[in-house]
Amino acid sequence: MFKKYFFAFLGILFLFLSDALTAQNSDGPKPLSTTYFIQNCFVVKQPGTVLPGQNVIIKDGYISEVGIGLKAPYDAQYIKADSMYVYAGFIDAHSNTGVVKPEAKDRPKVTDPGNPPYDVAGITPQFKSSDVFKPTDKSVGDMRAAGFGISHVAPRGLMLPGQNNLFLLNEGSSDKLLLKSNTSQNLQLEMNRGVFPSTIIGVIAKFRELFKNASIAGTHEEKFKLNSTGLSRPDYSKEIMALYPVTTKKIPLYFKAPNTKDVHKALSLRDELNFDLVLSEVKQGWHYIDRIKKTNTAILLSLELPEDEKKEEKKEVKSEEKKDSIATKEIKKEEKKVVNPEKDSFDAKKEESVKQYLSQAAMFEKNGVKFGFSFHNVKPSDIKKNIRKLIENGLTENTALSALTTYPAQLLGISNIVGTVEKGKLANLVITDKPYFEEKSAIKYVFVDGKKYDFTEKPKKDNKPSESGKMVGIWNYVVEIPGSTQKGKINITKSGGDYKITVNDDSTPNDEDVADNINVEGNNVTFFIMADMGQPVKVEFDLQFEDKTYKGSVSVGEFGSFPIKGDFESDPK
Amino acid sequence: MYKYLIICSLFLPRFVNTQNVLIKNGTVLTVTKGTLQNTDILVVNGKISKIDKNILAPQGSNVIDATGLHIMPGIIDAHSHIALDVVNEATNPVTAEVNVGDALDPLDVSIYRALAGGVTISHAMHGSANAIGGQCETIKHRYGTTNPDDLRMVGAPRTIKFALGENPIRTHGEGSKIMPNTRMGVEQVFRNAFTDAQLYMKDWDDFKKGIKKSSPEYNLRHETMADILKGNILIHCHSYRADEILMLMKVLKDFGVNKICFQHVNEGFKVAPELAAFGASASVFADWWAYKFEVYYSTAYNAAILTRNGVVTSINSDSEELIRHLYHEAAKTQRYGDLTDEEALALITINPAKQLGIDQNVGSIEVGKDADIVLFKGHPLSVYAIPQLTLVDGQVRFDINKDPDDVRVDVNPNEKYTTFFETDRAHHENNGCLRGIAEMLMEESYAKYMRFKYSKNHSH
Repeated sequence: MFKKYFFAFLGILFLFLSDALTAQNSDGPKPLSTTYFIQNCFVVKQPGTVLPGQNVIIKDGYISEVGIGLKAPYDAQYIKADSMYVYAGFIDAHSNTGVVKPEAKDRPKVTDPGNPPYDVAGITPQFKSSDVFKPTDKSVGDMRAAGFGISHVAPRGLMLPGQNNLFLLNEGSSDKLLLKSNTSQNLQLEMNRGVFPSTIIGVIAKFRELFKNASIAGTHEEKFKLNSTGLSRPDYSKEIMALYPVTTKKIPLYFKAPNTKDVHKALSLRDELNFDLVLSEVKQGWHYIDRIKKTNTAILLSLELPEDEKKEEKKEVKSEEKKDSIATKEIKKEEKKVVNPEKDSFDAKKEESVKQYLSQAAMFEKNGVKFGFSFHNVKPSDIKKNIRKLIENGLTENTALSALTTYPAQLLGISNIVGTVEKGKLANLVITDKPYFEEKSAIKYVFVDGKKYDFTEKPKKDNKPSESGKMVGIWNYVVEIPGSTQKGKINITKSGGDYKITVNDDSTPNDEDVADNINVEGNNVTFFIMADMGQPVKVEFDLQFEDKTYKGSVSVGEFGSFPIKGDFESDPK
Repeated sequence: MYKYLIICSLFLPRFVNTQNVLIKNGTVLTVTKGTLQNTDILVVNGKISKIDKNILAPQGSNVIDATGLHIMPGIIDAHSHIALDVVNEATNPVTAEVNVGDALDPLDVSIYRALAGGVTISHAMHGSANAIGGQCETIKHRYGTTNPDDLRMVGAPRTIKFALGENPIRTHGEGSKIMPNTRMGVEQVFRNAFTDAQLYMKDWDDFKKGIKKSSPEYNLRHETMADILKGNILIHCHSYRADEILMLMKVLKDFGVNKICFQHVNEGFKVAPELAAFGASASVFADWWAYKFEVYYSTAYNAAILTRNGVVTSINSDSEELIRHLYHEAAKTQRYGDLTDEEALALITINPAKQLGIDQNVGSIEVGKDADIVLFKGHPLSVYAIPQLTLVDGQVRFDINKDPDDVRVDVNPNEKYTTFFETDRAHHENNGCLRGIAEMLMEESYAKYMRFKYSKNHSH
């Protein structure tokens, strides 16, 4: 008897200790007990089913009991969850979580650009995301902090980057976190410039050929296994053989299709070649709702949403007007009289377009098409904010929750172990202080495979004005483009918390490009400018600042990505 | 906002007008059956069902009064690069397997501008970077749709782009240091590609007959070349010099291929009888030359000389600007060569239709053909001609009286407003046969890229 109490005492003791010791992301000591008792909470069993006054018992990584009036096991750690909400851990149905972005490389040199080796051509379907998944990567911790317990991880690459694998978003070795391997393949309309295929028409043609050959090769190999007499020995490449399961529909093909034309390409190619298609990262798919519905095509919507520019512009105008003297105001009024019906129409269409992008999820829901989300281009910290935008535009909370839980579980064939809060399922849970979709809700705990991550104490915000202030100043830059070196200056200023960045290239010293979409995170600064290269070309900067230097990459429209570096020159004028 | 809604309703998603259309009392330039005064045209289900005087309008018809107007068949451009996201897969001298039909862009405003010039069909082509470029797509200008498939002209035969001379030599010989680096090399590229396809066909035949038990590898490039050998794909070949034109005809004769239309073909006038004897057709510029060395020996009489020698000849644009006034381009043949009205109009209607293999359905105003029709104020061959109304499959796609301020079908939320001038300038530099090449070469030689960027008219 004494022993039992002693252990319970220890457990309670540990409860306090563990919070301090196993702060998220740190590899703390092993908890004394892997049994948890979540007390008096609302359990959102599945989208639409909210049960009050529940207790949840977690044991050895699974949910051992959910119900009212349960008795805490002797060795349980208590989680006082009065008025808290327990959801099934979110599932990321497709992303590059845990896969580090490769550094921008120069174009590979090949002697015959028309027949490059497979890897140079971007054809690496034999490649596995499990070979590169890094549980220590920041993105893993960030996704977990956003409530995700499982990611369906795609390798990074070009046209055929490789096979996807399912990972638990825990700490530890990636082998142990692998939940399911070779779940699916990827096809992307992305390519290396200067080698075949260098365009989307090249990618599509090459894929048609690879697909047919994979089918031929796989069939031949099976025939050979049955009876090899009179048959030549199969000597197919690993690239070709990796696609064979796609041709037999053993695994699906995830096709990254952001805009309407991409969606059309994906659907057409599927109809032509007959494979199991999952549309991923869809931003503008509403033109094809009927077709998607009729063909029962799986679809993942992108959570990268357009900015509502109008609101921001209005803010700007207001602050500017305040500054303006009466005299300049009058000039402005006159300027406003200039009639430009084309621009008016353009603005109206753009506003309508933004609205459509934000209403896409609601449109799919209204038409009875189920969907999930993909997370290639959204910052984990923006996920909830963006889903709320979709809800503001007509999406119901239940469907939003199913897109985070039950839909991906079903799509990935793991609904028997995750996706709902039910006895016997894996202890992947998210615990929030208010209903998740409320604006001010916060995630308090995340369980992944029974392992607890505590977010009750927010990490102290490093309000380091000195840190971020460091970026302010005039910096020179050098961009190495093969055959040429581009130099110039970047001027970073800050007023009232907002950054302003201008870029001056030495080749055109009088032209100043004002940066847009400035994003500062720690020492990382990203922004883009529209440079005039005979036509407006989007030039995106991604810079990592250190003390008096920085480096990073610049991607220039369709031309590719180039390394950039520079030094601090002076304070801003 | 309301304006936007009006545009939306103007561009209904369906592309064939099920409503009957009656065009009344116009001067009908049929092109193939003479000129008919004060004549009506009845359109039923997108097809011309009756051409006569005083046709009674069936109930519910849309009646268009054409009194004082000239009516001609929709203009057909046998060489353009509009409505395409990709023009060149310039990485290999032979890329027969690629198809620009996979990169159709129904959102391209150029389609609307072409409609405003009375053009209802264009041949959206692969570029001229490769000796054997990609397959092309014959498109109907059904502007307003977001679905690329709606642009395709169902039933149009497959076509493919070939190219002779400086462009493939420059791209591959100079650019990538591989064959072809000379005009001889270009010929050999053709011969090799056809020979490979013959061997490929034999391999598959052997497998199908059971002579070989293991399946050969599937090769989409050889497969496409084989389809040319079988006569299933029409060749459209970028060409300038007479010697090369003769060369390609010899190559094709050796391989038993006879369906070819020579594009640009500036020296066609020198070999017009040979072209006629081979059965080759020609699609030319009215008066555009001297933009590079191989295009100096040219004449504005080219179209007339070819026509009078019995070569089926058309006048094309290869440009988003010329496509808006191809009727002017056709009229130039009356100044240079005294072609008749009907001969001149045929250059932009029935002749390009023949070159694209679609003359059974379009290219003239005849009962049973698609109702691709343009109404002009003034005779289309007059310098004062102004297109008023353009119908595609009986559907009004351009109406000068209802020409909206802005016709973009889709605005990307991240798009910045640009004026016509800015976008046009961008297009101009990016336009034409060598589109995509500058980007490809940039890393190899930035200097070369700059030269490309600032050279005028490099692309044809």
